[in-house]
Amino acid sequence: MSLAPAGTVPVVAPAAPVAGVVRRRPARRRAASVGWGVLAALLAAAFAFPVYWMVNTSFLPTNLIIGPELHLWPDEPTLRNYDTAMFHQERAPFVPALGNSLQVTFLVLVASMVLAFFASLAVTRFRFRGRAAFVLSILVIQMVPGEAMMISVFQMVDSWRLLNTVIALGVVYLAGVLPFTIWTLRGFVNGVPVELEEAAMIDGCSRPRAFWKITFPLLAPGLVSTGVFAFLQAWNEFMMALIIMTRPESMTLPVWLRTFQQATKSTDWGALMAGSVLVAVPVVVFFLIVQGRMTGGLVSGAVKG
Amino acid sequence: MKILRFGAVGLAAALVLTACSAGDDAADGSNDASGGTDGAQIRVWLVGTDTPDEAREYLTTTFEEENPGSTLTIEEQSWTGLVDKLTTALSSSDSPDVVEVGNTQAATFTSAGYFAPLDDIAEDLGGDDLLPGFVKAGTWEDTFYAAPYYAGSRIVFYSDQILGGAALPTTLEEYVEAAKSVRTADHSGVWFPGQDWYNALPFVWENGGFIAEPGDDGAWEAGFSSPGGIKGLKQVQDLMVNASNAPKDGDEAELQVPFCAGQTTFLSAPNWIRWSIQAPADAEAPGCADTFGADLHAFPLPGATAGETAKVFAGGSNVAVATKSANVDLAKKALTILLSDDYQTILAENSMIPAKKSLVSALPDDEFTLASAAAAANAELTPATPKWGDVEAQKVIQDALVQIAQGGDVETIATELDAQIESILNG
Amino acid sequence: MSSTMLRPAPPGAAPPPRATRAITPTRLLPWALLAPSLAVLVVITGYPLVRMLWLSVHEYERAQLLGVPAQFVGLDNYVATLTDERFWAVTARSFAFMLVCVVATITAGTLVALLLMKLGRAMRLVLSVALLLAWAMPPLAAMLVWGWIFDTQYGVVNHLLTAVTGESWMGHSWLISPLSFFAVAALVIVWGAIPFVAFTLYAGFTQVPGEVLEAAQLDGANARQRFFDVQVPYVRTIYVVLIVLSMIWDLKVFTQIFVLQGIGGVKSETSTLGVYIYEMGMAQGHYGAASAIAVIFTVLMLAISAYYVRVTVKEEPL
Repeated sequence: MSLAPAGTVPVVAPAAPVAGVVRRRPARRRAASVGWGVLAALLAAAFAFPVYWMVNTSFLPTNLIIGPELHLWPDEPTLRNYDTAMFHQERAPFVPALGNSLQVTFLVLVASMVLAFFASLAVTRFRFRGRAAFVLSILVIQMVPGEAMMISVFQMVDSWRLLNTVIALGVVYLAGVLPFTIWTLRGFVNGVPVELEEAAMIDGCSRPRAFWKITFPLLAPGLVSTGVFAFLQAWNEFMMALIIMTRPESMTLPVWLRTFQQATKSTDWGALMAGSVLVAVPVVVFFLIVQGRMTGGLVSGAVKG
Repeated sequence: MKILRFGAVGLAAALVLTACSAGDDAADGSNDASGGTDGAQIRVWLVGTDTPDEAREYLTTTFEEENPGSTLTIEEQSWTGLVDKLTTALSSSDSPDVVEVGNTQAATFTSAGYFAPLDDIAEDLGGDDLLPGFVKAGTWEDTFYAAPYYAGSRIVFYSDQILGGAALPTTLEEYVEAAKSVRTADHSGVWFPGQDWYNALPFVWENGGFIAEPGDDGAWEAGFSSPGGIKGLKQVQDLMVNASNAPKDGDEAELQVPFCAGQTTFLSAPNWIRWSIQAPADAEAPGCADTFGADLHAFPLPGATAGETAKVFAGGSNVAVATKSANVDLAKKALTILLSDDYQTILAENSMIPAKKSLVSALPDDEFTLASAAAAANAELTPATPKWGDVEAQKVIQDALVQIAQGGDVETIATELDAQIESILNG
Repeated sequence: MSSTMLRPAPPGAAPPPRATRAITPTRLLPWALLAPSLAVLVVITGYPLVRMLWLSVHEYERAQLLGVPAQFVGLDNYVATLTDERFWAVTARSFAFMLVCVVATITAGTLVALLLMKLGRAMRLVLSVALLLAWAMPPLAAMLVWGWIFDTQYGVVNHLLTAVTGESWMGHSWLISPLSFFAVAALVIVWGAIPFVAFTLYAGFTQVPGEVLEAAQLDGANARQRFFDVQVPYVRTIYVVLIVLSMIWDLKVFTQIFVLQGIGGVKSETSTLGVYIYEMGMAQGHYGAASAIAVIFTVLMLAISAYYVRVTVKEEPL
């Protein structure tokens, strides 16, 4: 969920989360800052609690989960839930689901960054007929509820005989993320002064080379934003996956996770939480890796200098 | 940039690890063997965990023996969202071949042409021996599309320890009174979650009400606000408010849990709950084999008059062949196995009421099965119209019951419910 | 502000002369760059969009999926929708829900961003990590976990309330009343949305030059005045974008409500537009009616974001 910048702006160097700009008040405000610290700790606990609770439940044996007492800490930890989730779900095997999710996400990640980069260049660096129409249409597309188009997408993919394929799902997701990613990158490209490219061209670069050597590196924060967004969409989406991937071996992880919710048997909460952990962990890891680049990049496309 | 490169390498490594299992299957997935029966793969969609493993093995082994070169795969589906999933899957080019559907959902598909006609093999499947109510549910405009698979019904469970020496109720009124009399703040007389409409229907039926029937002009008329319907719903409200501590918006899942915790005297539930209750305490889905499961008993819900059982909701499934199956003939063969005496006997031995009346004798002699069979003999179905699927999908009955459970005015709620049902069925 | 238009360069390796702005043969380059995206979008999104319009004026049910020809019904679906009180109930509900979520998210996000600015490095890291965890959770998994937290019989919320208040909250259903249902849904959605807003605003606020803030303080402005009169104008663009995006996303919300309805609650009283369209179309097979609803919905959304759209298009050199 990145920012959609609204105008032409100069590039600002990625701002690190540490703000050197706001100066600290003298020592008489130390008491107040302890107060803020406590508040921060409480908030942090509140935000992180569901994640903690998910992990906690996933390590508890079932009879302790469904019981009258509360276990805030897994005092009798067990790996059984993970075992159940990964190896004993007959209707939904885990490893293929993991593989499918990875493949689809990778496909969408790479394709969206490349395509959105090209498209954003086209839309900002060139003037051509239909440009405004294109920009307007990718904005409007984002407002259409996808639920009504599901059936048509399904029929289309079916007519190509591409049901249950990673490539079909990937392309569908790609179409879903392109409007937003093009929009975002457009703002970032606007922020790279064209003079830089022109200078490079005077020095002998061709235009494509100028794009590659000059603009592309400066877009790093924007590309990271785009990549994060595409990753999230592809990894988490489940409605289209439910419809397009009908066979157990072609499920993606969200579809796999949803099979844990059953109507007639009691929900195995432990296994469900273990499954949730398995689905959430790669995202969290990905976020922690890119977070430094990300928060700086998000705003540099949007602030008017 | 480095991050992207890192990510790419990491992902590539992961892909290599998982490529074998996922990539090939995904690529092959959309190509069923074309043309002849050599190497054909039949996919059977069974729903939930009801079909026992022994039956599944029998199906696979027998099919592959009788049709050398072909394989049969069972893909288990979930009841949640089944109708949505079937709609898209059955209309696609990668349709499963044989599917199981709830008996109340069959009409949705038979009326839209999703199933292949079974008239040509009706005799092989069992002809008149098949359960008539289910055959009716699976027939549309005189063509037979979906055969009965198995039936179940609800029975009333109790444990001797909790009931003590009290006499079993012989009429519906006594049942209600008995449940109310033992209810305390943390013990229910009967566990009656608010959305459990299957258990509310017997009260409506036994008092002369009905769900919906075609009127003289052909339009559907709903009967919850008929005098019998209101009387029945008031009994339901009595139970929900004065005899049950179950969540007012709960549904019929996880019923063995409160029973095993000793929180209720009576539990009206499908007969297979017996296995869940009698599961050992350390099983994955824990039961209480040692405590309340040890002296578990059951009886069919008594009717309005002593000596009769109540009309109960006929649970169960139908099975059908998909119109767009790539191998309709092979699929029909698989269907025939599903309805064969041997297969149905396996189901019967697992306390599922078989699709053929003649096999009722194969049901085990225990009181649960007997109770269930007695109840099922008097079972009723929901209206046989495709729009009934919409009524269930929009959960109008459940929503009305939840309001009743919270003490709302029965007449008003019932009248509105009928209006809603009629507008869906006739709309 | 420097121009972002690239002056076209004539073919050849020689350095281009600077002054001219001639129309050149490389006019194809933008189209070449745009082509792949355009292809994907036209096929995957354009076609279904057109089809959705077509469906909305036909009677298209399950039988039609198998090939039975669909009947043209003109505006019947639209009329039926606009006269259906369920539709208006759903719409009102969706808007109310969206407003609550957007207000909560933006307000809380702002407060968290301001807090982040006041913290020392260590605590800021702690809070940031916690926010990241919340942000990273997949919506499906998050909703399942929250559903578990609020579970009627064994949820930790009921446990804690029982311990704290002394009365038994066990068995209290959080999803049964629509208000309570939406409170839970809002909590989850806002919980997941705050981190993004907070981080973005934080980064924006840190761009505000310290000298300006100090000057304002020296002039006697209190914290509130400094916020509204100094900081906000600097990040006004960010706010506009965040608000518009939040409005669109929260109005379209589907996954969270869908999953929560699967856990409990009364469907007819808790459906929002996204879920309603899905129910009508995919679940009940009334694809024509669902498409009509979607078209109406899109028009509504366009109306809301008309201001933003117009501003954007105006800034676009035509």
